[in-house]
Order: sequence, then C-alpha cells, then structure tokens
Amino acid sequence: MNNKNNTTSPVGKSVERIDAREKAAGEAKFVFDMKLPGMLVGKMLRSPHPHAKIISIDTSKALKLDGVRAVITAEDTYKVKFGSNEYFFPYTVDQMPLESEKARYIGDEIAAVAAVDEETAEHALSLIDVKYEVLPAVFDPVSAMKPGAPQIHTAMNNIGVMLPMQFGDADKALKESDYIREDVFYLQSAAHCALEPHVSLGQYEVSTDKITLWTSTQAPFKVREALAKTLKMEAADIRVIKLNVGGGFGGKLEMFPMDFSACLLSKKSGGVPVKITCSRQEEFSFTRRKHPMIYKLKSGVKRDGTLMAVTGEVVADGGAYCSYGPTVIAAAILRIFMVYKITNFRIIGFRVYTNNPICGAIRGFGGVQSGFAVESHMDMLARGIGMDPVEFRLKNATDPNTETVNKLVISSNGLKDCIRRAAEACGWKNKFGAAKGDGDISRGIGIGIAADVMGSKMYKAHESAGSIIKVEEDGSVYLFTGAADTGQGSDTAMAQIAAQELGVAYERIRIKAADTEITPFDTGSFASRVTFISGNATKNAATDAKQQILGVVARELKLEIGVLDIRDEQVVKVSDGSALMSFDQAVGLCYSFNYGNLIIGRGSYNPKTTPVDFRTGYGNVSGSYGFEAQVAEVEVNKKTGVVKILKMYDVHDIGYPINPDSVHGQIEGSIVMGIGYTLYEDLKFAQGQVMNPSFSKYRIPRSVGIPAIESIFVETHDPQGPFGAKGMGEASLLPTAAAIANAIHDAVGVRITDLPITPQKILEALKGKESGIGHSANGIG
Amino acid sequence: MKKIKIEIDGNVRELQVPDSELLIETLRERFGLLGTKYSCLEGDCGVCTVLVGTKNVLSCLILTADCDGEKITTIEGLATAGQPHPLQRSFIEKGAIQCGFCTPGMILAAKSLLDKQPHPSDVEIARALDGNLCRCTGYVKIIDAVREAAGKIDK
Repeated sequence: MNNKNNTTSPVGKSVERIDAREKAAGEAKFVFDMKLPGMLVGKMLRSPHPHAKIISIDTSKALKLDGVRAVITAEDTYKVKFGSNEYFFPYTVDQMPLESEKARYIGDEIAAVAAVDEETAEHALSLIDVKYEVLPAVFDPVSAMKPGAPQIHTAMNNIGVMLPMQFGDADKALKESDYIREDVFYLQSAAHCALEPHVSLGQYEVSTDKITLWTSTQAPFKVREALAKTLKMEAADIRVIKLNVGGGFGGKLEMFPMDFSACLLSKKSGGVPVKITCSRQEEFSFTRRKHPMIYKLKSGVKRDGTLMAVTGEVVADGGAYCSYGPTVIAAAILRIFMVYKITNFRIIGFRVYTNNPICGAIRGFGGVQSGFAVESHMDMLARGIGMDPVEFRLKNATDPNTETVNKLVISSNGLKDCIRRAAEACGWKNKFGAAKGDGDISRGIGIGIAADVMGSKMYKAHESAGSIIKVEEDGSVYLFTGAADTGQGSDTAMAQIAAQELGVAYERIRIKAADTEITPFDTGSFASRVTFISGNATKNAATDAKQQILGVVARELKLEIGVLDIRDEQVVKVSDGSALMSFDQAVGLCYSFNYGNLIIGRGSYNPKTTPVDFRTGYGNVSGSYGFEAQVAEVEVNKKTGVVKILKMYDVHDIGYPINPDSVHGQIEGSIVMGIGYTLYEDLKFAQGQVMNPSFSKYRIPRSVGIPAIESIFVETHDPQGPFGAKGMGEASLLPTAAAIANAIHDAVGVRITDLPITPQKILEALKGKESGIGHSANGIG
Repeated sequence: MKKIKIEIDGNVRELQVPDSELLIETLRERFGLLGTKYSCLEGDCGVCTVLVGTKNVLSCLILTADCDGEKITTIEGLATAGQPHPLQRSFIEKGAIQCGFCTPGMILAAKSLLDKQPHPSDVEIARALDGNLCRCTGYVKIIDAVREAAGKIDK
C-alpha cells in the first residue's frame, strides 16, 4: 500500500475523507471543470411569460448564424413527458423535455442551441422567433384552487396532488379534549444554493447510437431512466456518469431539460460533445425551489398533556410542474407520526399548480415546512395548558418497537433520550420561562423535535442499492457502488463499511461510484437513505468477498469456514482471536496455483418496508427511523427586533456513527441552513418572476454570526442498520425554525407564525403585544 | 490587447491578453488551473478567490491586464515540494471539506488572513472568511481548521 496510514476497524472513527486530499489540493474534478475536444456550448431558450400558448417557433435565423451547430425544439423530440414520482403518482408525470404547446412558468424550456462559444449561443437564442399568445396566469395556490382560475394543466382546480389522510375519529377526540387551539403557519420558498451549478455534458456516439452524459447529479440512475424514456432509447445505451458534485441538497435529484438537451444537441451536431452550464441567475430562477406552504392546524390535548387529535389542512404552491411534489406533500403530512403518538388524525394536503417556477425536493422534502408548523403548534398547545414544552414532548413522543396508527414500523427509537439529553445539555430547567436579560435584550430558549426516514420509494417499485467488491492479487480492494456522493461523504462511509466488514485497513479501499455503466444500481442520494441502504449493500458485498477468501483459507488449513474471520488485516480463529495468516497472505493463497480464485463479492439491499397507500396514508415508508431533539438559545433585541442565536444543541439518534466527524458535519450544516431559512432566506416572486436571483439579494448564512453548536449522539444501534447506523442527512434541518421561534416566544412573549422571522415582524408583534392586539400570524398567502 | 508579465504559482508567464480578460479566465482557460472554481461571476460568493501577492482577490472581478508584475497564487500552487500547506492539512483533518467546491477559495482566503494575522481569534477568522460562501458545512469545521492551522504554522 502506498498510503502510510493503516486504519483498521475504521467504523466509528473519523477517518480522513477519501476525497479530502484531492479537494484540498484543487485537483478534484467536477463536471463543471470538464472540457472535451471540440466541445460546444449549449444554452436553453426559456419562456419569458408565466403562462402563454405557443403559436409558432421559428429557428431558421438561429440555424443560419455562423458558429451554430444545432438548434432543437419539441419537433426534434418524441414529446414524451417525464416526472419524478412515477411509481406512486403516475398522474404527476407532467413535464416535456421541450415544450411546444404551452409555457407554464417564466423559464419553461422551449428550445436549445449548441454553438462554438457562449456569445454565439446567446446570440442564437435571441434569433429564435417564438410567437406566444399570453394567457391569464395565477401565482398563489389559494386563488389557483378557486373555480374559474386559469387552468394550468388538466387537473381540476389546479390541484396536482391531493392527499386526504385520516385515522381514528378526530372529531370525537377533539370533543374529548380539554384544550383546543387552531393556528396557521406560513412558509416561504427557498433556494438550494449548491455552489456547483447544474451542469450537463452530453456526447452522442454516431457509430454505436449511444449516449454518455456527465452531469452534476444526486441520482445518476434516475437521470438515465428519464433520458431513456424521453429519448426513446434503451437504458443500456445511455451512460450517466457522476463526478464530484458541488452540493445538491435535493436540487439535483432528477433529469432536467438541460440534461436531455445536451444529449440531443450532441446527436444533432453529429456526435460533438455539448456542455450546458446554468448561470447563478438560472440556478435561482429555473431549477427547483422549496414549496411555500400554508399550514393550518387544529389540535386538542387533555389537561395532563395527552395529545388527543391533530387536524388541519396544508396548501402548497407547487409551481408549474409536479417534480417531487407528491413526496414533498406526503412528507409534510406523514412525518408527524414518526415523532408523536397520535391515533386521531385528519389532515388534507393540496399540492397546487401555479405559474410560478417549479417546486421540488429540498433537504427534508416537506419536513422543514411541517417541522416549523407542527413544532410551533405543539409548543403553543403545551403553553396553553401550562405544561413545560419538554415534558409535553416526552409525554407524547413515540417509543421504540411500536407500530403507529398508519402502520409505520418503528424499531430502534432514541427520541425520548434525545429530548431528555437536550434538556440536560442546555440547562432547560433553569432557563425556560425564567426572567432574563437586561435593558432591551431578552434571552429565551426553545425546543423542537424531528424524525428521519431512511429511504422512500419514489420512482421505482424497489429502492435497492448494490455494491461489488473485488480484491486483486496485490491485496488492493476496489469498491463499486451506485451510491452518489454529493459532498456529504457517502464514498467515505461506504469505504469504511467495506473495510470494517472485510477486516482490512480503510486505506486499502479504492472506490468507483455512480457510473451507470460500471456500478450496480442505486436510486440516489435522497431521503437520508445512503448510509442505511447503500451501506447495507456494501456490507453485504464485503461479507461475500470475505467468505470467498475464508473459503480458500478453510480448505487450505482444513478447518470449518465458520471458525474463521478476518479482523484488522489478519485471518483469525473466532474462538480465541489468534492470527492464522495476514490478509495479504490469504489473498495470495486465493490467487495461488492450487486455487486461482478471483475474489469478487457482491451485495444488494432492499429495506423492509410496505408500500404506502397514498389514498389512505397506511404503509411503512422506511426500513428504520432516526430521531432528534434540538434546542435554540436566542437573544432578542426589543428595540431593533434583531434575533441573535446564542447556541444550538442537537441531540440525534443516529444509531451508530460510521464517521463521527462527518455526522457532526451534516448536523452543523443542516442547522446553519435551517437558521438561514428561519431568519432571512426568502426567494421572492412578482408575477412569477424570481426577484432576487443572486447571492447579493438572496442571502445565505455566512461565517460571521454562526452560533456555537453542540452536537450530541444517542446511539441506539439499529438492528437493521450497517453496524447499527441510521441515516441522518436531513432531520437536523427540520426542527430548527420551530426551536428558534419557540425560543423567541420564551424571550419576548411573541409568537411569529410566518417565516422568515425578520426584525420587522418581531417589532410589529411586540407593538401588538403592548397594545393588546395579540400575536402576529399575519398572512403572506 | 496588453502585454504583461505575471507569476502564477511560481512560474513566470509573459502574455498578450485582451483588455477584457478576467483573471479567472486566464487561470482556467489558458493554464488549465481548474482548482479555482467560480459560482456566480458577480463577486458574491468568494468561490473564485486567489491570492494576488498576499491579498485575497476575487478572480471573477479582476482583469488579468491589471495584474502585470503581480504574483498570483492559486490552490494548485499552495503545496510545497508535494507537501500540503498546513491549511490544506487542517482542512483535511478537521473535516472542513464536504463537497469541496468552496474549498480552494476558502483555503486561500484563510491563507491571506494568516499571512497578516498569524494568531487570529475565532471572530477574526469568521470575519476574514465572510465573503466565502459554503452551503455544506455551516462553517463550524472550517473555522476549527483555520484555528488549528494557525497554531501549527506558529510552531
């Protein structure tokens, strides 16, 4: 081995990330950096109207421009629609790669060009003559649902997805409640802001009629599937390759018209590669964004804090197409069952088409929106009966080894531990409700809780992942996994899991990931699924490879294979741990004259779930569930309305941490992203146009003002997780907004129910409190 | 067009550059120094940070023609004799790298700080990096890494 480190038993250790050196050196390659010989620049022509009938498209002038190699419109396509939730929601497959009949938002892709350089491509776009008949447009979901509103697709009242979820008898339970309250919460849109933009590089090969696409994606196999469908090609003739990905956060989880266009433009150009790169303005305006939601809740509790019933309605602005909207609205409604014991429940969710840009997946799916609404509401219920919010949550939190009313199967569950330890860590008893602060400054503390899934079926009947491990004659170990590392560190986690199970040093592992032609299938990086699902697949592949090696050793030493294991680079006898030979010697034996056994292990994993029936809400979406409690300590300036976050505490049931530093890194990143969404991130629109499509106008958190973050693990050693690990990439973002809002209430006694919590809203609420008007809850809808 | 002489990562280059050529274009297009990324081309994100002399500069906002006689350091020029710079080392060790897209600019902004102020407080580190966006880490481990490197360079 040329690496001097020799980290055996790497699981549970914060080993150096497998890609950290090349990234620190500036050598890591992203699709953004790729350049192929003769490569052309591609650009998309987008609708300038939020809603318009397309009368005609004339590309003749653009085609005549010197330096233009290809122009494509819908006439060059098969006019096959694509979508993201086609398995459970086939009726939401609603988007054309290039639109020819109607534009439904400012940015709808109408045509694409490939030219020798950027200027020529831009010029060519301006020469494409599209005649539109502008149609009346609708921009807010409540108006869009009213009879007579402009019809965007064929869905009645523009309701793209409707999910009525009902369990038990909510009306009866409300009648039996001692305290009932009704609250409305408003959640704004937000942008992913991955620093590497969406970028697609397509190359068609004329002689074989095959396509290769390099794209910055979280789900290469999903992209391949959608390309095959829309290009009417065999999936096997399309190769999608992911390199390093400069962040995704849910925004790179599907095929985009630019992926399709890069491939088709290359074909039209005779096989010359075509690269399309989004500008930052395009990123903000035309990719995907968070669903704004209006979240109404009416719930009842007993005087002792027992949560009797939760009812309500969720209305989400989905924008022009469905994307991952069905999963988003389902997650916004159903996540509550992972966290609270509820038997009486009735929430109806509407995901509504508007002529705004498309909403899709973003870290947590709808969990961030429901996290704010539900966790604020629960706090308000607790206060309403004079109960401590921590006690209230402990009383109603779910337990291990239970089945919820909608048939989620919860095995390991450290939620109550998380709540208790969070309260201990922050000194809740002394701080909550205590008078504090001096002059204009008031301090407060607040809590929120949340749960993580570990996968969710969206576009396939299964959500299996696969891995292959080959052990070469020189002892080097190659891991082939379909898992798509987008920066969260899954390649590292997979290498750690492979090394641990195979019994070798982490540094032996070389990884080849996320290339649809080479690596096994994997649905992608979403729903906190990779460590749990791809991790189990990798562990199974390593077990298989290990058994092959041990089989040879057992034959050679005339021992039963069951008495042998490989640990810390040695083949050992399980009974006493005594070393029989080194790993290298064992591999040498496999490749020797007498055996000649090539070592190729394979593994796959499909979590134990049951299909969710989205007409009823019954089903078990995930193989296991993760949990957490988060506490915010804040300082509010009553003169200026400015909120300063003093400290965040996150106690997280992660099962077992494969790489503790990476897990802390996910938690810290989530919390800071959550702080941005809570206090200032706000993608603004006027008549369907994004008004702040730049980092100067759309502020995301910067290094100044980041609070101290204390991240604590609760280790529940999940029986199904690889080495007990659970997924955790999303949950830490879910309770942040509510924890902060609850802390603000504790500090100054005002309740902000619409995000972001700006100084102005706090000042207005404080003014209302002084004049006895009551708390804010002013609408944006 | 302007004829200029600049030093990039220790190599002296004489160039004819159009007046409008940006330093980021020179680095990436002419010299294949792809370690320097960009993300907005508007001076908002800090991803394209390089050093001109010891000062951290946004290479998307500076014209190459204005760099005549300057020494430019990119992420590719930071290691010496194959050994990573202490900042690169600490970013690797402290888990300060996730997707890695902001990393080159972040490390160079940190180097500019440590060249001026070898013993920065956490507040000074945060202020020095305030122009460099990161969407993955929440900055916690990045600040840890800069603090750690400062201690090591000192020794």
